Amino acid sequence: VVFSADEASNIIKECVDSIIGGIDYNHSKINQWTAAVVEQSLMHLVKMGKPFKYIVTCAIMQKSGAGLHTASSCYWDSSTDGSCTVRWENRTMYCVISVFAVSIML
Amino acid sequence: MLLSRAASIPIAIPLVVVTGAGLRVTMDEFQSGEEAVENTIGGNAYQHNKVNQWTSTVVEHCLNQLTKLAKPFKYIVTCVIMQKNGAGLHTASSCFWDNSVDGSCTVRWENKTMYCIVSIFGLGV
Repeated sequence: VVFSADEASNIIKECVDSIIGGIDYNHSKINQWTAAVVEQSLMHLVKMGKPFKYIVTCAIMQKSGAGLHTASSCYWDSSTDGSCTVRWENRTMYCVISVFAVSIML
Repeated sequence: MLLSRAASIPIAIPLVVVTGAGLRVTMDEFQSGEEAVENTIGGNAYQHNKVNQWTSTVVEHCLNQLTKLAKPFKYIVTCVIMQKNGAGLHTASSCFWDNSVDGSCTVRWENKTMYCIVSIFGLGV
């Protein structure tokens, strides 16, 4: 079974829209939001029932002119494992979610 | 193999966060991350035209060091570099894996002009 980045990407986008869709950056709620995004995304991914271990990371940054760069590198089996990254933004914040899926050999 | 949810980890203040009940991800992995960051951006100030190069270099060096450890792990390394500008940045991660063999660690580094956060996830094979 190969990881489907498109399917994962759609799932993530729906999760983020439902959690921080029309909301402005709010310092006191942000921890809650990042936790909710990763937990719900993970739940939906696991529900697909595929033989993968998952790692979901989420970074939310306030729009204030600062520069932010991210990179990732993976040492795995490229025939079965994969990742996908979703970049999302609204008026006041950026959200970058990465999903890494590692195949379980049965 | 029993798969279960590891707790969500909001990455904020601590310098080192090592998780995973098996703790097979150890200080070796943490040191790989730290060295990679120090050697790449050690004495430098934030420079917009170099940041892409820096993030790539940090993850590559880190992964090289990790593979040299020759442990039976698949690794995922992520690096975030952010300019110090007063903006708020929050990250979290959640993992669905085997708690007895898998784990992660996070290195948080800063200097006067930027923050650098490196996360290393190790999955047992």
